[in-house]
This record gives sequence, C-alpha cells and structure tokens, in this order.
Amino acid sequence: MVSVSTLAAITVDGLAFGASLALLGVGITLVYGLGEVLNLAIGAFAVIAAISASLLVDGGVALPVAALAGLGLVGVFGLVVDRTLLSLVYRSEGEERILLGIFTTLGLAVLLEGVLVNFVSSRYSLPLDVPPVNVGAALVTGTSVVSIAVASVVLLVLFAFLNRTFLGKATRTIFQDERGAQLVGIDPRKIRTLVFVLSAVVAGLAGLLVAARSNVGVGNAFQFTTFALIVSIVGGVRSLVGAVIAGALLGLVNTFASFFVGSYVATVILFGAAIVFLLFRPEVMSS
Amino acid sequence: MNTDTLPGARTLALVAVLFAVAPIPVAGSGYYIGVLSRVLLFALFALALNIVFGHNDQLFLFMGGLGGIGAYTTALVADTVGVTAWLALPVAALLCGGIALSVSWISARRRFTVILISILTLNLQLVFTEVFVGARDLTGGSTGFPYELFSLSGVAETAGVPTPVVLYYVILAFLIAGMVLYIWLINSKYGMAFEAIREDETAAESIGIDVVRYKTIAGFVAGVIIGIAGTLLAREATYITPSIFTFLAVDVIALVVLIVGGIRQTYGPIVGAVVVEAIEAALSNYAANWRAAIFGALLIVLFLYFRSGVIVTVRDVLDDDVLPGGGSGGQPVETEAD
Repeated sequence: MVSVSTLAAITVDGLAFGASLALLGVGITLVYGLGEVLNLAIGAFAVIAAISASLLVDGGVALPVAALAGLGLVGVFGLVVDRTLLSLVYRSEGEERILLGIFTTLGLAVLLEGVLVNFVSSRYSLPLDVPPVNVGAALVTGTSVVSIAVASVVLLVLFAFLNRTFLGKATRTIFQDERGAQLVGIDPRKIRTLVFVLSAVVAGLAGLLVAARSNVGVGNAFQFTTFALIVSIVGGVRSLVGAVIAGALLGLVNTFASFFVGSYVATVILFGAAIVFLLFRPEVMSS
Repeated sequence: MNTDTLPGARTLALVAVLFAVAPIPVAGSGYYIGVLSRVLLFALFALALNIVFGHNDQLFLFMGGLGGIGAYTTALVADTVGVTAWLALPVAALLCGGIALSVSWISARRRFTVILISILTLNLQLVFTEVFVGARDLTGGSTGFPYELFSLSGVAETAGVPTPVVLYYVILAFLIAGMVLYIWLINSKYGMAFEAIREDETAAESIGIDVVRYKTIAGFVAGVIIGIAGTLLAREATYITPSIFTFLAVDVIALVVLIVGGIRQTYGPIVGAVVVEAIEAALSNYAANWRAAIFGALLIVLFLYFRSGVIVTVRDVLDDDVLPGGGSGGQPVETEAD
C-alpha cells in the first residue's frame, strides 16, 4: 500500500513536471495561434537555455544571473530566427504556410541539434540547492515547489500581459481576426516577432526548470518538442488556458504512471493520450 | 517490351542495368557496396513517401518507426515460428501495410489535413521508438540484437562474391519491383484518381471518386514498401537497434531525398537518393560530425527555394537551351507562391 504522503509527494513532482510541460505547450500555442507556424524547434530553444545557463554556473556565475542570461540568449536567438527563417515562411499563406513552417522549423531543429552535439555533448543540470519542504504530512523536494512557483508566476504575468496591456490586446486581436487587426492599424508582423521571442523565452524557462530537476542534453531537444506538441494537442492548440491545464494534467498522469507502471509505459501513455485526442478532437489542430 | 502496360519500361530497364553494373568497379570495397545499398534503400523509402505524400498529401512522419516494426516483426516471427525470414517478411510487410492503412483510413474518414496527419504519425513514430527501447524482453532494449536473417551466404559462396554484394542485388530487385508497381499505379485509374483528389477533394468526390478508398490504398502500398525497406535496412546494418529507426535517421533523410530528386517525379526518389548518399559519403570522409547539421540546413533550403527538385530543374534548363521559350515539359509541379 502506498502511503498518503508518498502520493502527495508524487502529486507535487507531477505538477512540477506539468509546469514545464505547460510552459512548452504555451510556447507552441502562442506561435501557432498567431502565425500558424508549428514551431518544431521549440525543444531546441529549451535545451539551449538550459545548457547555456548550466555552463555559466560552471563558469562561476551566480545561478539567477546565469538563468536570466540563458533566457536572454534564447530570446535573442528567437529574434534572429523570426527575422530570417520565419520571414520567409510568412510569405506564403494558408496550408502552404503551415507546411512550410513545419519543414523549416523541423530543419532548424535538426540543424541546431547537429551543430550543438559538436560542442556540448555531455548532460547538464542546474542544481537549485533548495531544502525539502513539508507539505502537510509529506516531504517534497524544494526544487519541485520552486518549479511550480516560478512557472505559475510567469504564466500569470503572461496572461496579465495578454489581457491587460495594449500590446497584449493587439496580440489577441490578431489571434481572432488578422485582417480586422490590420484595419485598425496593428502590424501583425511586429506582433508576431514579439510573440515568437516571448515563446522562445517561455520554452527556455521550461528547459531551465527541467534542468533544475534532472539532467538535460542536446538529445532531449526533440523529446521536449514532442512533449510541447502533446500538450498543445490535448489542450487545443489555440487555447493558452487549455495548454496550461493539459500540461498540469499530463505531468500528473506521467509521474503517477511512471511510479506505478514504469517510465517507458508512462511515456507511451503520454503519446497515446495525444493520439486519442487527435483522433477524437482533430479540430483542435485544424481550426 | 510492352510499353502499353508499363509506360517508360525502357527507361526503367536502363536504370536497372545501370544499378546492376554499378557494383562491378567497386566490388572489392565493402564500403562502397554499403553506400550503394543505402542509395537503393533510401530510394525505396522515398518511393513510398512519393506515393503517400507526393500523390496523396498524406505526410507520413513515421517511416522510421514503421520500418522498425517491419524489421523487428520479421526477426521475431522468423525466430518464434522457426521459419526462414523470407516467409516472415511478407507477414511483417502486411502488418506495416495494415498499420499505414488504418492511419490513412482514419485520416481520410475524418478529413485530416496534411498537418494533422504529420502530427499524428510523428506521435506514432515516438510511440514505436519508446516501445523498441522499452520492451526489452522482445527487442533487446536500446542495444538491440545481431540480425543476420535472410541467409545469403550460400548464394554468395556459389556466386563467389561477398554477402553484401548479394544483399545489394536483393535490395535492387525490391526497388525495381517497387518502381514497376509505382509506374503502373500512377498510370492506372489510381493515378488519375490521386491527381483528381489532390487537385480538389470535394470535386473528386462529386464525380464519384471514393476518396477514402484511394487514400487508404495509397497508405497500404506505402506501408508495405516501408516495412520491407526497414527490414532490409536492418539487414544491411546486420544489427537491429532502435537507433537505426529514429525520425532523424530515416524520415528526415527520406524527405530530403524526395525533395532533392523531385516530388511526384518517377525517378525523383532514385535521383535524390544518389545525390543525398553522395553528399553523405563525402561528409563521412571530411565532416562526419556535421552530418545532422548539414541535412537540417538542406531541409530548410530545399523547402524554401528548391521544392521542384533536381529533375524538374535540370529539365527546365535543358528545355530553355534546346527550345527557347519552350514549356517546362513533364508533369505539372506546384509552383511556389512567393
């Protein structure tokens, strides 16, 4: 019999993993909702942030500074990708654009992984050194609690930005009606750039949080991308709230499944959930 | 040669002869036989992708996983039942065909767009990879197991050539068979139906074309070819591990091969495979570590600037030189909307 405190600890760990998943899902959703580009390189962004922050910590930089530097780096990189690759993708329209977006970001993911393995081939982590925390009767790792807290704050700030500021409202207008937004004088291209950089930083944060709990290597990039895809499929690719809920839920499911039936079956369950959702609610991706 | 039932039979025969004599100058070199075999194998993968994606807009991104299912099934069936792999291969190929058929059937019934199919199959790819690594009792986990099925050494001894050379001709036989099937398919009522469906699905349906049926058939044929190609790929490696069947190892290369050669071009897969394997062979000498990076960059550049492929580009250049102002000739290829 599994004790209640163990279950509580698994729940917190599950939510912590779910927090990273939610951030990755939000990263995909933001860009797909706004520009119809399914960013298959998002996992590489997460890995770049995690590895660069970890390397800086190894070099003697304080953890918070290193984390911010990692996020900054991935943000700048996102800006470069947006100005170059995505500008080319946005020249096409409709299904053509979606297909082009898939192939260019897929190519970018392969390119980044191929370049990075030559320089950073080992695995990296970002130990937080937070003592375990008592939650009720359960003792949970401090890292999990910090992960949940950081992700929650960032997501709240992001939602506040989208709901309260002019830029955020402009962004949401484009989500809903691109032509209408143009008519009232909003430049969709600029907003897309902003949102792409934002999504890169959000994905970078997801990478940092995973690295705080376990090791991250270049080989994880593709895995992160697929996690992000699963979350956005289950949550509905145009719904940010859906992505957050789906992330939390899938994090819980995965962590409980790996505790009770083993990690490989747990991963199959994750992918299985995505496939079932695709089969029964395909409209989440297409409209 | 009866050119009525198989248009272009002469060209295909010429290609077959070219590949049949190709190993002779390099027969002593196991390395070059390996390169030649990979040319044929990836031509076979790209051929399947051409049918299902090129002519049907069903973007299969689980060719690696499906090929792996083919290889593992062939090996496991042959071992468990105690029969030769030659009997197990059709079972595995039909299983792969069945999986692809189900995917196509569901996608067609539910009117999945090309994006949805790509995401669905990408997810399946990852499920398959997880199972290959995770189901250790069956697959040997990430280390896999040695795989020397299809006893070709007897033939090799009789013919007095190394086993890899025999294997090369076996793969060639499958590729030529695949090409015959492809040429027949595209020039039959199936090809016309594919064309009509690709142009306008609703219009095709309104003139009585059973869209679901044709898409499902295309999926099945592609699945069978992928299953066979995967099994032969593992045989060529003489070892069966999940790493042979990853997305990066198979799907990305097959996509690049098809786009380089030319999508919906009969010889696109073969031309593309020759070009890509030549690049790969050159890289392995000078920049093996940069292989993935270069193929990633290729994928981007090809899709942005070179989507009509080598065959169409070369033909356009030739047409312009020989007949100034002449048409582009050949099959119509989607033009980029810039």
